[in-house]
Amino acid sequence: MRYDVCVIGASTEGLAAAATLALAGLRTIVIERNAAPGGRAGTREFHPGFRASAFLDELAPVPREIHWAFDLTRRGVLFLPSSPSARDADARIAAALARAYEDADAPPRSTAWFAKSLPRRPWPGEDWATRALTDFADGDLASATAGRTADPALAGSALHLLAPSNGGMVAGGLGRLGEVLAACARDAGAEITLGLDATDIRNAKGRATGIGLADGSEVEARAVISTLDFKRTFLSLFQWDALPRKLIKRVSAWRMAGGTARVLFALGAPPGATRETVAAGFDAANLSASYAAWRAGLIPEKPPMLFRLVSASDPSLAPKGAATLTATLGSIPFRLFDGAWTHEKRDALGARALATARSVFADLRVAASAVIAPPDIEEALGATEGDLWGGELAADQMLDMRPGPRTEISGLYLAGPSTAAGPLATCASGVAAARAVLADLDAGRLK
Amino acid sequence: MTAGFDAVVIGAGANGLAAAAYLARAGQRVILVEALDRAGGSCAPLALAEGFSASLAPALYALDARMVKELKLASRGLKFAERDMPLVGLRSDGKHLVLGRDTHASARSIAAHSQADAKAWKPFHRELFSFGRAMRKLWWEEGAAAPRFESFSRMSAAAFLDSWFESDALKAALAFDTTDGGLSPLEPGSALVLAWRAAQEMCGLQAAVAAIARGPQVLTETLIEAALAAGAEIRTGAAVAKILVADGAASGVELDSGERIAAHAVFSSLTRQRTLATLLPAGEAGFAQALPAPRTGSAMIALALKSFPQFAGNAIPRNARFIFADRLESHVAAHSAAAAGRLPHELTMELTIPSAADPSLAPLGQHVASVVVRPVPLGVDAKQLGTEAIVALNRAAPGLSQQIAAATVLTPSEIARRFGIETGSASQLGASWSERLATQVRGLMVLEGPIAAVSGRAGRIAASLVAREKHR
Repeated sequence: MRYDVCVIGASTEGLAAAATLALAGLRTIVIERNAAPGGRAGTREFHPGFRASAFLDELAPVPREIHWAFDLTRRGVLFLPSSPSARDADARIAAALARAYEDADAPPRSTAWFAKSLPRRPWPGEDWATRALTDFADGDLASATAGRTADPALAGSALHLLAPSNGGMVAGGLGRLGEVLAACARDAGAEITLGLDATDIRNAKGRATGIGLADGSEVEARAVISTLDFKRTFLSLFQWDALPRKLIKRVSAWRMAGGTARVLFALGAPPGATRETVAAGFDAANLSASYAAWRAGLIPEKPPMLFRLVSASDPSLAPKGAATLTATLGSIPFRLFDGAWTHEKRDALGARALATARSVFADLRVAASAVIAPPDIEEALGATEGDLWGGELAADQMLDMRPGPRTEISGLYLAGPSTAAGPLATCASGVAAARAVLADLDAGRLK
Repeated sequence: MTAGFDAVVIGAGANGLAAAAYLARAGQRVILVEALDRAGGSCAPLALAEGFSASLAPALYALDARMVKELKLASRGLKFAERDMPLVGLRSDGKHLVLGRDTHASARSIAAHSQADAKAWKPFHRELFSFGRAMRKLWWEEGAAAPRFESFSRMSAAAFLDSWFESDALKAALAFDTTDGGLSPLEPGSALVLAWRAAQEMCGLQAAVAAIARGPQVLTETLIEAALAAGAEIRTGAAVAKILVADGAASGVELDSGERIAAHAVFSSLTRQRTLATLLPAGEAGFAQALPAPRTGSAMIALALKSFPQFAGNAIPRNARFIFADRLESHVAAHSAAAAGRLPHELTMELTIPSAADPSLAPLGQHVASVVVRPVPLGVDAKQLGTEAIVALNRAAPGLSQQIAAATVLTPSEIARRFGIETGSASQLGASWSERLATQVRGLMVLEGPIAAVSGRAGRIAASLVAREKHR
């Protein structure tokens, strides 16, 4: 059967794209490798009775209009209150998102002679490309860099404020958001196929015509949306000789900055009276030193750690009388200087997190723990180098310097964290890609 | 008040002298005032030892070729002792890297470290040079930036070099130039500093580094001659206390002595920040001009050597820029330390020995060397810096420390105090000339390139902008 649109990956972005397209009446199919939808928004039972969001406790906020369009609250997504954003960040993010949608709705850039001589319109937020996080006196370095790696003293680090992780925890774990978005897409008429891997994007004469699947079958579609990151999309789903040279060069120069590790603790009993969130090692000097270590492939001496007693705000995550504690570590290299990530290294990292946890939480009774290192994130999500943000958040890789939603291959669209809207908000890059597909269909640019 | 002039130029560096000469040539009455007792700015000679001639800027890369030609500096005595100094990356394993004009020879030298990098050298060179040439339009001709400017200007030098090369040796040697202007190689815009160097032209060669015969003070002498011949007046030992402003336009300057010089236009060789913040009356500078002050700077060590240093390892040219940096990360770490006010563990340095090509700079058989240490904290301790730098030099050239007859260490704050020269910032590389030179005070111009260097170009262009204004 021929579909209008095929979406690779049932992440929040892929599902938002599918729901948007299906609501517009297009025949849409989503192909997902994992058995459950959600992507980054996944909840896992890491010890009998103990559950936690595996990769992050919070995503970027879901923009209000998307929240309403999919009726998330009525469908059962309850966001728990979260930390406020840095000053002026929200206004910039909203304006940059509006700009991303504008680009998605507009036809591809004209190559007419006069278009080249027009002055470039600066993007909102671009002014932060020369600012450092430490310039912001009210800056909360922990919420700006948790789970990532950045030297807050360097110019350009302020761009991390445009990739917030303060959307709030979802009651029942982030996985709930994935399930609800999947239901939303299904209700709108989209098909979702779980547990099936996309192996390649079929293309002819520089035009994407569908995808090949791991079981040997093929899905034909007028448009393909990939929610994989920029590198993964082009390096794993194409034959290199099928791509323009310039694109190959850009893809190989794209830098990933995976630095997230998670340690999940199952506690026999809630610890003594302490705050629910404790940040350790987020002073500017330690962040700079950790970043330098990360660049050299070393696990920092004191990796910045954000501890959250997630079961305190969401009791469903732990059995009665017990508690679940998560640690989000930043500046943990994907490629270690001294070789591959082994079990011993994972255990050592877990022990280090536990030691730090013991210094901030009194009376910690750990029943079990699970360590998720950057290679585990790559393995589980297909996120290159375990980078949950689809590429280093540097000045030359942010805003309009990010690829998509349209690509050099006609009929292939990019959603997900690597695109302009990706780091700004959750679901937004999927909606932007869907809007680009709809605009191009309207203009008759897709066969 | 002294009788009216058309223009006052503050500071007798290359830019100030060039501006004075060009304005006088255009028929304007010009006076140049210099705070110190002698002209020259960073070209002025440094006192080192009897018979040794050292200066802050022994090797030049940004001299304005058009100025040299139009002011007939060559016939006034400006000659080059060396036209094209290669870049040598010194390695502790003795496999020194020699990067010169000949791309094949350079690639062979790179091949000792990485075959892939050797292969990438030619296309890298071609791409950087063509981008640099395209950027001349924005930087000193008239016109828009090159098409790839947007992405290039937001890229860090580390990302740019990493995208081309794998070997630490090559990246470390190339990255030294990117810290000129106070950025870390990890900061956006630092890649543009490489393109800025690649855009320059010396002696008709793109991105060459050259040395003037008998030292850079010859440039000062010839520029003074050109300015005087054109009819400009030059006064030394006359420090400017403030710039006079009337009705939002510059109306002259007041000297420390209290003397006032009236003029229709004022040109300042000081940095934009210094000019606006300290010389303008309160309230005229506006808040918009509160540029971030640089946190790091370059220190300079001049050495009188009894013999030429013997570098351990394979043969290298004698007249080169020797770069001391182990890896690209050395520059990154040095910047982090310097910005935090500490002396870096590993000093990143450039050594030049101008007497290798020009024996007149030192007594027979002896040599004068200059070491640029960058980045360092602005107020670094001179003694500690000198000691550590000499230890590092001695490691590469064993026995060098016994050959030192005299040494002078100039920290960034000392250079600012004694010569009035401050570290500029590379953050202005995206601005066009007219934006960079003009100020919000009518008739006041700042003679500043995007990166501090002996050039004269800012002076020439400012003078021509004013001349054009007058024609209108």
